[in-house]
Amino acid sequence: MTATADAPAATADDGTAPDDGTGGSEPGTETFYDRFPEAARIVRATFLGAFLAFAVGTTFGIIQTLHRTGIARPFSSVDYYTFLTAHGVFLVLSFTIFFLVGVFTWALVRSLDRPLVNTRFSWAWYGLMATGMTLTGLTILAGFTSAVDVSADVLFTFYAPLQAHPLFYGGLAVFLVGTWLAGLDWWRTFLAWRREHPDERIPLQAFMVLTTTIMWYVATSALAISVLFFLLPWSLGLIETVNPTLTRTLFWFFGHPVVYFWLMPAYLLWYTVLPSIAGGRLFSDPLARVVFVLFLLLSTPVGIHHQYLDPGIAEGFKFVAMTNTMFLLLPSLLTAFTVVASVEYGARVRGGTGLFGWLRTLPWRDPAFTGMMLAGLMFAAGGFSGMVNAGMNINYLIHNTIWVTGHFHLTVGTAVALTFMAATYWLWPQITNKPIYSRQIGLAQVVLWFAGMALMSNAMHAQGLLGVPRRTAEPTYSGFEYGSAFGGYGELNLQVAIGGTILFASAVLFLSNVVLTMGNSRTDGLAETLAEPISGSEDAPLVLDNIRLWGGIAVLLVLLAYALPIVAIVQRGGLFGPGGEAYPMVLDALAILAEQAPDVLVERMPDVLGGGWAGGWP
Amino acid sequence: MGTTDGEQTAAGLLEDPKSFDPKGTLALILVYFCILVTMWVYIYFVEFLGNDLIVVG
Ligand code: HEM
Ligand SMILES: [Cu+2]
Repeated sequence: MTATADAPAATADDGTAPDDGTGGSEPGTETFYDRFPEAARIVRATFLGAFLAFAVGTTFGIIQTLHRTGIARPFSSVDYYTFLTAHGVFLVLSFTIFFLVGVFTWALVRSLDRPLVNTRFSWAWYGLMATGMTLTGLTILAGFTSAVDVSADVLFTFYAPLQAHPLFYGGLAVFLVGTWLAGLDWWRTFLAWRREHPDERIPLQAFMVLTTTIMWYVATSALAISVLFFLLPWSLGLIETVNPTLTRTLFWFFGHPVVYFWLMPAYLLWYTVLPSIAGGRLFSDPLARVVFVLFLLLSTPVGIHHQYLDPGIAEGFKFVAMTNTMFLLLPSLLTAFTVVASVEYGARVRGGTGLFGWLRTLPWRDPAFTGMMLAGLMFAAGGFSGMVNAGMNINYLIHNTIWVTGHFHLTVGTAVALTFMAATYWLWPQITNKPIYSRQIGLAQVVLWFAGMALMSNAMHAQGLLGVPRRTAEPTYSGFEYGSAFGGYGELNLQVAIGGTILFASAVLFLSNVVLTMGNSRTDGLAETLAEPISGSEDAPLVLDNIRLWGGIAVLLVLLAYALPIVAIVQRGGLFGPGGEAYPMVLDALAILAEQAPDVLVERMPDVLGGGWAGGWP
Repeated sequence: MGTTDGEQTAAGLLEDPKSFDPKGTLALILVYFCILVTMWVYIYFVEFLGNDLIVVG
């Protein structure tokens, strides 16, 4: 079949793996490790990279929590922003993306039932990702010492006017290229499979990986431009100034779809693994494909919803972004329905009855199952705060408050992170042939994460409604008191701190369990199989598999949503901007206004004042 | 369909999976929907009735 040594000789040449619609098969008693040992090693390496980032990131998480609530401040408030940058970058760029390239590699190879085309190429992208992220990470951590003149306290949203050392951007660029090559690797492997199987439907898991990869290419195009043409030359001193609104807009062009990049591997696991763990079957393969196509189409032309308070962008463009965002709710609602129905099927087959009684028959003692279900439940809660964020008017209520932080600890911090931890309990044995050290600890761990997050995130939401700002080392001000709703600021701080401590304990349990598992010896009999969907790919219209068509439409929608705003931003502020600092821009705008006729002044004054001062430079 | 009115039996579902009618799922989603609506109404009170006007400047 291929030149690589991956597939065992006994099965390498048959090419007749039975096609269950979720993808290939794990015939008989073979684990992924048995069948594709080389790919399994890559997946294991990506997971270990992810866990390292998780360990450092969550440690910083508890430090921040205790600092901003005033409970313990062993470090200076200046260092707070170094911790915060590292927490953000390590968790949402490193942990999530390393884990997801592993999930995608596993899912693609498994569902195509075919090894990667060239394992050395796969190690090359892994090496680039690891090198790039190490550079970026060390540059951030160098901010703790004044011994070297290197720092990158720019937060994970690294747009101007905050500036980092060039190594920060350089490392990110290398990391990004690594992810692009990973996508190329999956596509090449898929095309090789296509030549071997010209008439077959794309297996579901492979379909999910391939559409998400295209979304990633679209999303990261703007980030590459921002880093290579503006931020990196600017921090190297090659150009004097940049246009901050432009770099912000390019960042958020990437910043929304990246949340779906984190989420799609979780969806993949919910759609294709969770039903099997529950003893059920995926309710509908076609519906799953529709969902992934919708995400490809709609993930990117919405990024401006992060900029509702940006003064440099016309309200009309923001309205377009809001409309697209509301459409984007649809695929997540479809997912809620499909996944729950698939699990319900499992419960009914296990003998569950009643309108809600079936819930009792589910395998709640299985940490993989319970973890993923709790993650999904948290996502539903995050859906509510997300709708508040997404509304142009109501966003003003919570913009840049700790509410937003509460929101994304439900989404990326739980729906994604907890799904990844839960999936580890199921996947790790498949990719290593080692049984999990303790499934009881695993179960306790996922429940603790849920409880800790319920406490911390809920209190963050409530504090946000009181107006408590995010990204603030000491969010108290002399001569000012927060309102007393929800128990008041002090009590909510206590909830944040207790929740954060429980979360940290959960993270420690997870990591210890993984380390102890690595000490186990390899055994047989760990192989798990995935069940076929109830309604299989034969029910899905062929056009769904036309990824080129969907990619084309996605690019078109992005052009429609972004061409005019970007032209307007460049026309107004210049490609390289009026300066790297925030407040002269407001002065400029005021100067322009002063020259205009009074009626224009009346029209635009509220925008400039409200946006410029209330919005600031988050 | 393949089952008696209402309850779907395990055996029936295994025999004819497509007869599965996800009623429990529908019920859960309706519960979620009710919670969402309640929260929205609640946020309305927070935004429009909970705060005084803020005058900048
Ligand atoms: C032990 C668990 C965790 C704790 C205690 C924790 C705590 C915190 C706190 C208190 C903040 C707010 C700081 C501020 O705005 O002043 C924060 C920010 C943040 N957290 Fe976490 N977190 C944890 C896990 C996670 C996970 C798993 C993720 C994502 C996968 C995550 C992603 C983020 C991000 C992106 C920010 C925003 C950083 C910024 O505003 O620049 N956190 N975290
Ligand atoms: Cu967004």
